[in-house]
Amino acid sequence: MNEKDLKSMIESILNEMVGAAPGEQGAAAAATTPTAPTAAPQVVKPEVQSAGLMQTSMPAETAGKAGKANRAEGQTEGHESMSAQEQTVEDNDDYLDDITEIDLRKLLLVPEPADREGYMKMKEKTPARLGVWRAGPRYKTITSLRFRADHAAAQDAVFSYVSEDFVKEMNLVAIETMCRDKDEYITRPDLGRQFSPDMVEQIKKHTIKQAKVQLMVGDGLSSAAIEANLRDIVPAITQGLKMYGIDVGNILFVKHCRVPSMDVIGDVTEADVICLLVGERPGLVTAESMSAYIAYKPTVGMPEARRTVISNIHSGGTPAVEAGAHIAELMKTMIDRKASGIDLKL
Amino acid sequence: MNEELLSVGIDMGTSTTQLVLSKLHIQNMASAFSVPRLVITDKEVVYRSDICFTPVLADNRIDMQQIQTFVVEQYQKAGIQKEEIQTGAVIITGETARKDNANEVLLSLSGFAGDFVVATAGPDLESIIAAKGAGAHTYSKEHNTAIVNIDIGGGTSNLALFASGELMDTGCLDIGGRLIKVDQGTHAITYIAPKIKQLAERRGIELALGMVVTPLTLEPIIGEMVKLLEESVGLRQPSDFYDTIVTNKGLKLERPIPCISFSGGVADYIYKEAVGDVFQYGDIGILLGRAIAASPLTEQMTVARSAETIRATVVGAGSHTTEISGSTITYTEESFPIKSIPILKLTRADEAGSDEVLAQAIADKLNWFKLNNDLQRVAIAIEGKSSPSFAEVQKYARGLYKGMAELLEREYPLIVIVHHDMAKVLGQSLYALLDYKKDVVCIDSVQVDNGDYIDIGKPIAGGKVLPVVIKTLVFH
Repeated sequence: MNEKDLKSMIESILNEMVGAAPGEQGAAAAATTPTAPTAAPQVVKPEVQSAGLMQTSMPAETAGKAGKANRAEGQTEGHESMSAQEQTVEDNDDYLDDITEIDLRKLLLVPEPADREGYMKMKEKTPARLGVWRAGPRYKTITSLRFRADHAAAQDAVFSYVSEDFVKEMNLVAIETMCRDKDEYITRPDLGRQFSPDMVEQIKKHTIKQAKVQLMVGDGLSSAAIEANLRDIVPAITQGLKMYGIDVGNILFVKHCRVPSMDVIGDVTEADVICLLVGERPGLVTAESMSAYIAYKPTVGMPEARRTVISNIHSGGTPAVEAGAHIAELMKTMIDRKASGIDLKL
Repeated sequence: MNEELLSVGIDMGTSTTQLVLSKLHIQNMASAFSVPRLVITDKEVVYRSDICFTPVLADNRIDMQQIQTFVVEQYQKAGIQKEEIQTGAVIITGETARKDNANEVLLSLSGFAGDFVVATAGPDLESIIAAKGAGAHTYSKEHNTAIVNIDIGGGTSNLALFASGELMDTGCLDIGGRLIKVDQGTHAITYIAPKIKQLAERRGIELALGMVVTPLTLEPIIGEMVKLLEESVGLRQPSDFYDTIVTNKGLKLERPIPCISFSGGVADYIYKEAVGDVFQYGDIGILLGRAIAASPLTEQMTVARSAETIRATVVGAGSHTTEISGSTITYTEESFPIKSIPILKLTRADEAGSDEVLAQAIADKLNWFKLNNDLQRVAIAIEGKSSPSFAEVQKYARGLYKGMAELLEREYPLIVIVHHDMAKVLGQSLYALLDYKKDVVCIDSVQVDNGDYIDIGKPIAGGKVLPVVIKTLVFH
């Protein structure tokens, strides 16, 4: 399935969730369904208010317009649909509460739970959207909108770039793989792990040959993850390595980065350990999750099993600072034991 | 990975001394793709000792020699060597904790029982350990409810209140089965505890030494004792005698408590009928148990069956005292175990300000720990932050470093306990500030408070975690 098909499929599912009849897709839905979206907010509004979730009420017409804007997405692409939504807000001369600020783990939509405390305890333990209740056979509006909002954040994380200012601020050496743009990056994983000969020269110029460790950062599938975590994790890793007498030289920043690009860096720099901090494929829980892929003397074509992964680095998972301290120690262990991945028994 | 810890629990109570051996199972519960998260997954009691009378010498001191003999015998019976014991606790409870040589006996016995067997004492801890041994905290977690466990022994009733697995409060009353002793043959009263005598006088109940009693004649005084227990859990308004009967403090009782469980020697006669003479033990334990079983305590509250009764405290000491630290921590020295370090817990206000504020607060409060102007070893405890920035970690590190200057002068290791998951980076930051010259122990995911002590054992699970015991050391 290509990406366009996938996108239209997801949109049709989303349209069903906000109340359009099944089968209607994209532009067709915008033209034919003025009634359905307004119906859902009417059902939901009083309950949402009584639960004390929103400080201001959500007028039915605003929600309806938001629904229309949503369906306009079929005609536009990714980012533009966001601006369409923002437009709606401005038109209204009013503002909507940021629904992504609601902590879902504290939100229980079941109207009369037999054991509220028990339910909340269960929700505390999982990011899964439990207790969302329903409107007829569908999700409630708040649930649908939140799903869309989180999905949009995930898409943004994938399709946006790490800002150049940020790369400068962090003092990173900017390089890029063979991919020319995001579309190529998404569709050609093979190019996301290769560098042009010019680029290889650049890497050589800015790195120290046969260093103990070489740090690199890659946008991967979430630029948001990099911007959210790098400021805290880099100094933690640097400090931790210093404790073992290991210096961190220049840190590379790879645009359009796939994980195996670290193997090329391994071959070029001949460093003992390569650590790649890369944005994880975003999910609906967070778009800011980062992973560290670490390997002892990685080389192009090596088995994937030689990589050690520390995933789930974000504010709701492993804190970036604590992960950094752990990664520093892990790299030291790899250098001592000359192994990584499943070869490294911890 | 599955690791086992062999743990010993020894309870030196008012009347009896017991020992149990438990196995604690430790597992890494995190996936292979994340930072490790080691937890104690299971606790099983593998050996229960005989129950012996706590040996007391003629001069009213505890007979250390006999207790050691008892411990050696039990280790032999269980077929284990002292060196195999990895952790555990000795608790000294009730009257025994008031003996002159209590502290001395406790410390030497904990050293004798194993390398990392810690010494504990104190009525609050006793209540908590007994309730955990009885399974009250597990019950409250599994049933998502609040439960009070009353551990009724010879001299005291220890109360611990748990809600959804969390400790809420503790209390202690001078009510027990051996506060009135009765001759097994003649049924004449041989001993009345002072507070019980006072209670009888206040209520106009006839009670005197040498009086020959029957269950019927004892009914009024036992009834009064049960009423006081009802008051202690909020079933009845506190009477004029309630404050007198309280040992150190009662429960706060902000909300009704739906469930109750009982442990201690008397509990056996609450849960089941006694066989034979009610005065077979020469005390009123059986009658007290019976009276509780017929009181509103069991009628108005849901009674949970205890996992342990007379052995609740010793099982608690063996199975429920050892915790393990978080799995990303820092320690730069290997001189474990570190034993009985008092804890200085800072307030939120101390932590909220700049590093200077934090440093000043630590420096000021360290004065509390000065004996004859000499500073003891102290562990500093902070709340920390969930997901802090690197700058915030540095602020904490600088504050701690400056505030603990006086400890550093004395060549004490820096021991820092932080609640939130940030000990590895904080420890590394401190170590950097110390220029990698002084030792740092920084652990997280442990809850402590002022007045607590901490013992830290040798690293386990490939050095990832440290076993710790948070405890009190209070002799009456």
